[in-house]
Amino acid sequence: MRPTTLLLLCLLFVANTAHALDKAQADRLVIEADSAYAAGEHAHALALYDSVNTAFTSSGLLYNMGNCHYRMGDVAQAILHYERALRLAPGDVDVLANLELARQQVKDRVASMPTFTLGSWWARFLGGSDPDHWARRSLWACALLFLSLSGLLFVHHRTGRRVLLTLVALTLTGTLVSTALAYTRQRDLARQDEAIIMTPRVDVRSTPDAKGVVLFILHKGTKVTVLQEVNGWQEIELANGAVGWTPVGTSTVI
Amino acid sequence: MRTTATIGLLLVLLWGGISRLSAQEITFQATVDRNTIAVGEHVKLSITLTNARGSFGAPDLGGMMVVQGPFESTNMSIMNGRMSGSVTRTWLLTAAKPGRYTIGPAKAKVGGGTIETEPVVIEVTKGNAPRSGDPQAALGQQRDPNLFTTISLSRNKGYVGEQVIATYMLYSRYSNLQSVPKEMPKISNAWVEEVDLGEPRWEDKLETINGVQYRVAVLRKQVLFPQRSGTLRIEPFVQTCVIDRSFFNPGRNVEVRSNAVEYTVLDLPPGAPADFNGAVGELEMTVTAARTQVEVDGSVDINVRFTGRTNLKLLEAPVLELPGDLEVYDPKVVDRISVNAGGMGGSREFQYLIIPRHDGTFELPAIQVSYFDTKTGTYRTLSSEPITLEVAPGDGSASAPVPQRALQSDVQLLGTDIRHIRTGDLQLREQGKELFGSWAWTAGMAAPALGYVLLLGWHRRRTKAAQDVVGTRRKQADKVAQRHLALARQALDRNERDAFYNALSRALNGYLGDKFGLGPAESTRENIQERLSGLPDGTALAQRYSALITACDLARFAPIEDTPRGTLYQQAAALIGTIEQHFRA
Repeated sequence: MRPTTLLLLCLLFVANTAHALDKAQADRLVIEADSAYAAGEHAHALALYDSVNTAFTSSGLLYNMGNCHYRMGDVAQAILHYERALRLAPGDVDVLANLELARQQVKDRVASMPTFTLGSWWARFLGGSDPDHWARRSLWACALLFLSLSGLLFVHHRTGRRVLLTLVALTLTGTLVSTALAYTRQRDLARQDEAIIMTPRVDVRSTPDAKGVVLFILHKGTKVTVLQEVNGWQEIELANGAVGWTPVGTSTVI
Repeated sequence: MRTTATIGLLLVLLWGGISRLSAQEITFQATVDRNTIAVGEHVKLSITLTNARGSFGAPDLGGMMVVQGPFESTNMSIMNGRMSGSVTRTWLLTAAKPGRYTIGPAKAKVGGGTIETEPVVIEVTKGNAPRSGDPQAALGQQRDPNLFTTISLSRNKGYVGEQVIATYMLYSRYSNLQSVPKEMPKISNAWVEEVDLGEPRWEDKLETINGVQYRVAVLRKQVLFPQRSGTLRIEPFVQTCVIDRSFFNPGRNVEVRSNAVEYTVLDLPPGAPADFNGAVGELEMTVTAARTQVEVDGSVDINVRFTGRTNLKLLEAPVLELPGDLEVYDPKVVDRISVNAGGMGGSREFQYLIIPRHDGTFELPAIQVSYFDTKTGTYRTLSSEPITLEVAPGDGSASAPVPQRALQSDVQLLGTDIRHIRTGDLQLREQGKELFGSWAWTAGMAAPALGYVLLLGWHRRRTKAAQDVVGTRRKQADKVAQRHLALARQALDRNERDAFYNALSRALNGYLGDKFGLGPAESTRENIQERLSGLPDGTALAQRYSALITACDLARFAPIEDTPRGTLYQQAAALIGTIEQHFRA
C-alpha cells in the first residue's frame, strides 16, 4: 500500500510543477526587474515584478513591488504591498522601516490604541522566516517524537531510557506548539479583514446608505479593519476604535 | 569786379551753409496754438520744415476755412558754430460748424523722398467755448489743455516679477510754473523701486502732442516688479502747480490730475524647475572658490555672484549642499545694485565661509539655480562646475588655541528615504501553496505515526515469541537436530565411534524432546515413544525410533555394531525428515 501512496505523491508533485511561468523564468524576470529598478525605470520594474507575482509570491517580491510604487509616488499602493509583505514575513525590519516612511506621507494620522506587543523580535519568532516555517517544524518534531518513541522499544539501559523519555516529552511539546503556531499562521495569512483605503477621499457614514451622517473623512493610504459587509457597504473600524460605513470598493484588502 | 567777388563769396558761404544744413537733423512738423476753439474763433496752424530745402503746400484742412495766410517766414541761426535754418508757413483757420476736424498730413519733398507731418485734431464747440485766457474756466471743470500730467509704462503687459518702468510726466505750456508734489499714488501687489532723478527739471526738447508743443518734465520714475498675476492699476496722482507767479502777481494754484494706467501681469508658465529662485529677467551666475586646497580647520571662501537685470534685491542665497564634516556659515551678501531709468541691474554676491573639520577630498556639488528668461519666455537653468576641495590634515598648530573638541560626534542623519529593494534570491513560492494542511503535510505527520505502529506490531510479535519457549524449541528443533546430524556426519567421516553415536542419539532425542516440548529430564525413551504413538502413523515411527536408539545404545554401552554407521545415519536423518513433515502438515 505504501509504495502506491508514494507514487501518488510523486505524481501530484509533478502535476504541481507544470505552471504557465516556471521558477527559472521567474528568477530571470526578477533579475531583470532588479536592474530596471536600479536604473530608475520603476514602472518597468513594477510590470516585471507584477508578472512574476501572477504565479509566485514572497515577502521579498511584495516588498520590491512596494518600493516601486513608492518611487512612482503611489503611497497607498506602496503601503498595501508593504502590508502584504509583512503578512508573509512578520517583523521584517526592512519592510517595517519603509512602511513607517510611507505611512508618514498618508494624510490621516490615526492614533492606535495602546496594545501589548513584544516588538518585532516576537513577531519574527511567531511569523518565522516564511509561511511554511512552523509547518516544517511540526513535521520535524513529529518525526523526532516517533523516532524517540521507537528508541524506547529497544533501549533498556536506565540512563538511555531517561534521555529518550525527556526527548519524547520535548518533541511532543514541540509538535503540539509548532502545529498550533502553524495553524494560527495559516489563519493569519487567510485573513481578509484588513484593508487600505484606495480612493483619494472617502466619507465614512453612520449608516450603510448615502444618507447617513458623515462621521469622519478618510484619505488614501489609511489602514482600516473591515468588520462586516451589508449590500454594497462595509463597516470599517480604525485603529483608534472609530467605526463607520464606507461603500465597497473604496478600499483594497491586504 | 569787386561785386562779382562778393557775390561769389556769398555763394560759397551759402553753399557751405546749405551743405552743413543738410547734415543736421531734418524735422517737419505741424503745430497748432490750441486744439479746442469755439465757432467763429481762429486757430493758428504752423507747418515748419527744419534743416532742409524743400517745397510743401497746404495740407488737407478737413473742412476748415482759411481766414488768412499762408504767411511764410524763414529763420536761420548759428549756434555753437552750427547753422540751422527753418521755413514756417502759417495759416489762420476757422470753422463754421461745431464738430471734430482733422487736419491731414502735409507733405514735403526733400531730397529724393517725401516726409509727412502728423495729423492734428481740432475740436470746434458751439459758441462760448472756454477761453484759454479765462481763469475761471481753466480752474476745475475740465482738463486744462495747457497743463496736464501723465503716467506711462515702458510696456503694457509682462510676466509676474518682470520689471516695468513707470514714468510720471508733467506737460505745460505756461512759461512760468512751479510744481509742488502733493500726493503720489500707492501701488499694491508690486515691489516698487524709486529711480533717483534728482530735482525735477524741464527737458531740453519740446514735445508735440496733437500739434501742440509742450515743455516736459519727468517728475518721477519707478521700477515696478508685479507680484501677482492679473491687472496692476496705478491710480491717478494729483499735482499742484503755481502758475503765472511774478513779482507783481502771487500767481494761482492749479491742481492737475493724471490718468490712471493699467498693466496686464501674466502668470509664469507652468513647469517651473524645482530650483527656480523666483528671478524673472536676465541672470548670470559665477561661482568662484578662493582656494581648493586647505588644511583642517582652515577656511575657504566660496563666492556665488549673480549679475543681470532682474529684481536682484529679492534674490535669496542658494543652498549649498555640502557633504558632512564641512561647516558652512550664513553667507555675507554684497550688493552692487543700481536702479536707473533702464530698470534695476547690477550684481548680488553671496560669500560663503566654509571650514572643513576633517581631512579628505570633498566634492562640493554643482550649484543649480533656475530663473525665468523673459526674452525667450522659458525657464533657464544656471549651473556651476562642481568644486573639489582637498583638505590636508592640519599640523594642529591652527587648532592649538581652540579648546579640545571631543573627537567623536554623533552621526548626523541628513535625510530619510526608503531602503533599497531586496536583491538575490527572493525565495519565491507558488501562489496559495501552504505546507500546513496540505496533503504533503498530512502525509508527513501521519507517516512517522504509521511507521511507529508497524514497528510496535513487529516488536510485540517478537516479544511474544521470545516468551513462548516450547513453541520456539519446536520451531528450532529441526535446526538443532540438523546441527547434531552434521556433527555425527563429521564423526562418521573421521571414523570416531563414540562421538558419532553420541551425536546421533542427541540429535534424535533432542529433536523429539524439542518437538514435544519435553524437558531434559522428561526426554526418556519411553516418554518419546508414547508421544510418537499419538501421531498418525505413530506406531511405525515409534518402532523406527526405538530400533535406532537401541542400536545407538548397544554401540555406546556394548561393543556391538550390527548395522553399519552409514546406514544408521541415513535412517536417523530419514526419521527426522519424516517427523518434521508430520509436524508441518
